Amino acid sequence: MTGLTRTLRRAFAGTMLALALAIAAPGATTPAHAQAPAPSAPAQASEQMLFNYLQGDVRGRITIPDQRAATLIQPEGREFQHFWRTTLKWIGAIAVGGMLVVLVLFYAMRGKIRIDGGPSGRTIERFNGFERFVHWLTATTFIVLGITGLNISFGRELLLPLMGPEAFTTWSQWGKLAHNFLAFPFTLGILLMLVIWIRDNIPGATDVRWFAEGGGLIGHGHPPARRFNAGQKIIFWSVVLGGGAIAVTGFILMFPFQFVTTMSGMQLATQLHGVIALVMIAIILAHIYIGSLGMEGAFDAMGSGQVDLNWAKEHHSLWVEEVMAGSRDARAPTGARGAGAD
Amino acid sequence: MLIKRSEGRAARGGLAASFAGLSGGATDRRGFLRRSGVVAGGLGALGALGAGTVRKAEAGPMQPGVAVELKKNICTHCSVGCTVIAEVQNGVWVGQEPAWESPINRGTHCAKGASVRELVHGDRRVKYPMKLVNGQWTRINWDQAISEIGDKLLEIRQQSGPDAVFLLGSAKFSNEGAYLYRKFAAFWGTNNVDHQARICHSTTVAGVANTWGYGAQTNSYNDIRNSKTMIIMGGNPAEAHPVSLQHVLQGKEINRANLIVIDPRFTRTAAHATEYVRPRPGTDIPVFWGLLWHIFENGWEDKEFIRQRVYGMDEVRREVAKWTPAEVEKVTGVPGAQMRKVAEMFAKQKPATLIWCMGLTQKTVGTANVRAACILLLATGNVGSNGTGANIFRGHCNVQGATDLGLDVTTLPLYYGLDEGAWRHWGRVWDVSYDYLRGRFGPGNADDAARKRMMEMPGITTTRYFDATTLEPGSGDTANLIAGQPNFRGMVVFGHGGNTVTRMPEAVAGLEKLDLLVIADPHPTTFAVLANRRENTYVLPICTQFECSGSRTASNRSLQWGEQVVKPIFESKNDYEVIYRLSEKLGFATEMFKNIKVNGKEPEAESILREINLGGWSTGYCGQSPERLKAHMANQGAFDLVTLRAPENAPAEIRGDYYGLPWPCWGTPQYRHPGTHILYNTNLHVKDGGGTFRARFGVERNGETLLSEGSWSKGSEIEDGYPQFTYGVLKKLGWDSDLTAEERATIERIGGANPDNVAWSTDLSGGIQRVALEHGCIPFGNGKARANAWNLPDPIPVHREPIYSPRPDLVAQYPTRDNFMALRVRNIGKTVQDRAVQNNVARNFPIVLTSGRLVEYEGGGEETRSNKWLAELQQDMFVEINTQDAAERNIRDGQWVLVNGPEMPAGKHIRVKALVTDRVGRGVAFMPFHFAGWFMQEDQRRKYPQGTDPIVLGESVNTVTTYGYDPVTAMQETKCTLCQIRAA
Amino acid sequence: MARMKFLCDSDRCIECNACVTACKNEHEVPWGINRRRVVTINDGKPGERSISMACMHCTDAPCAAVCPVDCFYTTADGVVLHSKDLCIGCGYCFYACPFGAPQYPRLGNFGTRGKMDKCTYCAGGPEADSTQAEYAKYGSNRLAEGKLPLCAEMCSTKALLAGDGDIIAQIYAERVTRRGYGSGAWGWRTAYKEMTTG
Repeated sequence: MTGLTRTLRRAFAGTMLALALAIAAPGATTPAHAQAPAPSAPAQASEQMLFNYLQGDVRGRITIPDQRAATLIQPEGREFQHFWRTTLKWIGAIAVGGMLVVLVLFYAMRGKIRIDGGPSGRTIERFNGFERFVHWLTATTFIVLGITGLNISFGRELLLPLMGPEAFTTWSQWGKLAHNFLAFPFTLGILLMLVIWIRDNIPGATDVRWFAEGGGLIGHGHPPARRFNAGQKIIFWSVVLGGGAIAVTGFILMFPFQFVTTMSGMQLATQLHGVIALVMIAIILAHIYIGSLGMEGAFDAMGSGQVDLNWAKEHHSLWVEEVMAGSRDARAPTGARGAGAD
Repeated sequence: MLIKRSEGRAARGGLAASFAGLSGGATDRRGFLRRSGVVAGGLGALGALGAGTVRKAEAGPMQPGVAVELKKNICTHCSVGCTVIAEVQNGVWVGQEPAWESPINRGTHCAKGASVRELVHGDRRVKYPMKLVNGQWTRINWDQAISEIGDKLLEIRQQSGPDAVFLLGSAKFSNEGAYLYRKFAAFWGTNNVDHQARICHSTTVAGVANTWGYGAQTNSYNDIRNSKTMIIMGGNPAEAHPVSLQHVLQGKEINRANLIVIDPRFTRTAAHATEYVRPRPGTDIPVFWGLLWHIFENGWEDKEFIRQRVYGMDEVRREVAKWTPAEVEKVTGVPGAQMRKVAEMFAKQKPATLIWCMGLTQKTVGTANVRAACILLLATGNVGSNGTGANIFRGHCNVQGATDLGLDVTTLPLYYGLDEGAWRHWGRVWDVSYDYLRGRFGPGNADDAARKRMMEMPGITTTRYFDATTLEPGSGDTANLIAGQPNFRGMVVFGHGGNTVTRMPEAVAGLEKLDLLVIADPHPTTFAVLANRRENTYVLPICTQFECSGSRTASNRSLQWGEQVVKPIFESKNDYEVIYRLSEKLGFATEMFKNIKVNGKEPEAESILREINLGGWSTGYCGQSPERLKAHMANQGAFDLVTLRAPENAPAEIRGDYYGLPWPCWGTPQYRHPGTHILYNTNLHVKDGGGTFRARFGVERNGETLLSEGSWSKGSEIEDGYPQFTYGVLKKLGWDSDLTAEERATIERIGGANPDNVAWSTDLSGGIQRVALEHGCIPFGNGKARANAWNLPDPIPVHREPIYSPRPDLVAQYPTRDNFMALRVRNIGKTVQDRAVQNNVARNFPIVLTSGRLVEYEGGGEETRSNKWLAELQQDMFVEINTQDAAERNIRDGQWVLVNGPEMPAGKHIRVKALVTDRVGRGVAFMPFHFAGWFMQEDQRRKYPQGTDPIVLGESVNTVTTYGYDPVTAMQETKCTLCQIRAA
Repeated sequence: MARMKFLCDSDRCIECNACVTACKNEHEVPWGINRRRVVTINDGKPGERSISMACMHCTDAPCAAVCPVDCFYTTADGVVLHSKDLCIGCGYCFYACPFGAPQYPRLGNFGTRGKMDKCTYCAGGPEADSTQAEYAKYGSNRLAEGKLPLCAEMCSTKALLAGDGDIIAQIYAERVTRRGYGSGAWGWRTAYKEMTTG
């Protein structure tokens, strides 16, 4: 994290050096500086200040308790400005816009992925009530957080001209409140997901095959998968790690200078929060697509929790076997038939 | 240097006019007071007004549509004398504007000046009279307060005599207030009347006056613009007198001048120096002699100047010869090469000026330090012309004026002294008989001789008040108090903090023993909380000088008239009225105010100044009438920035005057003397402010003349030295015929049987002065300055180690003076020093402790620490400790540390924050002196009257400081003692 | 039209803090909000310099660029102002500001900020000039009265210059020429993407 700022700082220090030299050598006045019985102190001053610039440290002493005020100039602010105004917008445009384009194209080409064998009419429980609660807790808060977050990043360009400044401020103010408060349930959701699903998301050998076969999107076969296929595992780990990172950076922003005490740390946290969130939004867009419009039968998993057995067999063959094996030992699920009975 | 936007130029008046009629909730005086929690009409109903119910005073913004009055007053903080322009609406001070026209500050301020408006809204001011009843502050009314205080004073007087009361005045008084308080002491019958000059520049006044005549800055802040070399020694004007730095730094830039800072601490001033010299604290005389060693060795001295205008330089040479570069480096730590460089600059790149502050004065050798400084100036011929001189930066806003007007234990107003002649002079001015005044002195049963003795005996200083309270008087050679001086039983303090004097743990005992303590101040001050008093303690709300009219004398001797900005807020009253009420209660108001106009119970400032003019001949306070001062304030813009003089094209009423008629301003106001910008300046005619050294010490000594030889001020008809003018001298010169009949009559009335002895300083007609000036002569004579001041304890200054020296090895060679009695109290400095060496105090307390100012605060700090705009900037008392010393003690910047000194009670410390810095050298620590309210780790906030506790409290440095007094003025040692610091 | 700027001549600044209290006084700025401050670098060492710093009213102001609700605007005089009615207190401008100018009253729970406050160059805000409403939110409007910021007007050593950028740069250049040295105009490169001709 600091490496990035460090590099940027160095680059900046170079500029400042050039500047400072230019100031210290202002044409006509240079000779006076160099030759005149010019006071020694100011000359030393310039040198020392240059040195400090090169170190990227323009901190001094200040009498008020707010020690942040002791930083005289933080030219990195200009970099933050550039990042915010340009870099982040490009990242957002590419990530979110790009994903939307990809999904539209994919839908156009592939259409809705049907259950190959058609619905069986029989269902199997994929997610219990608690799991679904956790999912929707995370999902709904993420949507609100995403929208309000996008509003902070892009609202000025997209909404402000439509809404007008006062309405936009009111909306953004509420958005900010929602963003701050919903951060807590969102974080809770992430933590619970980690606890309840991590067991099923440890990468394994089947994932390699799943990848090798392109997750079945390429061609028409269905690579075997346990409860979660490799694609879902990616979503899981994206959500847990990405969501976790958003949460951590978010809390850093929410309690400014409490956990991270430096300006560069706060700037970095802001930048990471923005970038990761945008990437997350892109990923989740894909997740939403595949879980709803993109695939027949997928939504039920998080809707009723019951999925069609054929869907399950196609996409999670190993999981179905495991469940069936388990149930054979115990008791057969209501109305269950042998898998190969048809 | 500011560029205004050209368009939209509309004064506030214009703006106000454009909003006329829109006024809605305009702030008026009554509304303001109501929001401040005190309503004039409802005061009675608010009897038990506590902090909880006193709401914050909201000054509020400028109100559109309400007329704005502009009032001019002078900043009440330091002695630079910055003009403050107040914008007033409906009797509420709503804004401050830059006073561009003032030649002194040219619109600018420091942190304190830019925030003075808050003082007059301060919700932490004392709002009504209070007294302690069984340890609780209780509200009373003014009549009750004056009556009870008066009864108690009279009781003490009856039982112990008038000298059992200590009257502590203030450098915050206007000239008129200072004069009234001194007069009050005279009518009460004691010389135990003092003020802050004791603890800031009393040694300067003594040292400088004993060298060349007057105890004041010779030049001015503005004149520093002419200097080619400036030495600032023992002063940090960047924090103590920030606006003076405008002149210093601009002078430095314009002349490419040398700015040399000699100070143990690398101050904010040192940051702008071209050369920084770091001596060991307490070695100023070796530094001066070290510089002079190089000057004499190389023949850089101004031989002609010395021959014509200096007495006794040869004796200085003998002392200086001892201070070889090696010895100087051994004692001070300053290398010879640097000393030589500085000496050469000062002697050769002229004009050169020496600027000093409390770093030189607050020492056991303060007077000698100042004398050595003067001798350096004399040896190099750097006195009495543009860009030279002893530029002594005084401390408080009117410390010069209060000193001049005699808030001092050794003199009546204007340095007349205390002898019979002085009393008779002032008796004439006051229109009371000598016998009446004498009758006021001494205990009830004293005879005339005993009364006369007390009347002429210098009093007890503020540095020793608690010793005078607690020490057994004793008798004979070991007496602690001089015969006739009782212990103090009562103390009346106007405008003075209780944390300004050293040895605070001992002061507590003194305060607790007093039978009466009266604190008259805008704030309760440390006096109100330091001791554990339960009864007989009164706090009287005094307004600030912004709520009062009067003149104040800046450090450069300019008088400036301040007009009342708003009426006194809450129930506060001005100094004049309170002094009047007390004198009325004590039964001498009729005599005291015989010639002073009193409106109701409030004496009129203008009338008081006229009485000062009437008696102020000795110091040239005779020409500054209120009318002339007001004309100066109204036409500030006409005065020249550098010369301070109003040019030919200035309005007639100020034409040719120097700004503020810097004293001496000779003759009557009608004579229109322009004042004296630069003292002892022979390049000008006396009628243009020229002059010579004062012939104050006789005409010859041991066969050698004390009058100048071959030097006189421009246009003098006597082209040589001459003694001071008397009626007799005029007669000898045949100039007495120039006197008018009235003048002659006045002189003969004053002189009685012996009119020839009537001098320029006692002639109430001003005739002698007028005639002398008309002949181009200065009334006080044309004498030599004294390099040898034979009447002082050390006629030629000699180095003496501080009482608590970090170098015990040097004490035997450079010991302090033997014990002695001075100013009515015994001084046992030698005993303390010997004991410190014996007990090896320097080993247990290895760090030299010095103290000084911060820009945000002033003096004891009560007023400024109550100002929210200032208090925010310095929220913690701290000690500056050198990086290495801190590392050895595992002390980090910003952490709490414990500091103790050799005289603190065992096991007691003060708790302050560490400021780890290289500002101080290794083995030296610095603490600011503005803090109070914590005392040896006890938070005393609860002891303040409710709602008057300053925002910021902290430990006082004077809890740690130690014994040590100057032999001439009893100045305390604050700059060099020892301490130990450890992590808390 | 003038382009208003600040310039602090660190060879003159003595850390007297007049600029700080003048600001507090003029605008009744509450405790804890520091529209202007003085920083001392190399404290206690040779080469020590103090610099008074506040909003520099940047060219292409970073605060304005990052503001999510676009509450900043630049006046014809080049003064960067903002609307407290529009500000949502998000704090981004603080991260972008090279000079630490934005200040936030601390409100409510977990470090939520109130509406941003900063130096207005004594030019008030979007409300009508010199009205009560403007004063309450932003302080007084001296520029509208033909006056300059009080901090610079009251600077004890005339170190802090305010006024048209070209003119104050020229004053500074003249000073540097006259005295033969200058430590540079702090922050000019960052704020105005230029430096003084001095």
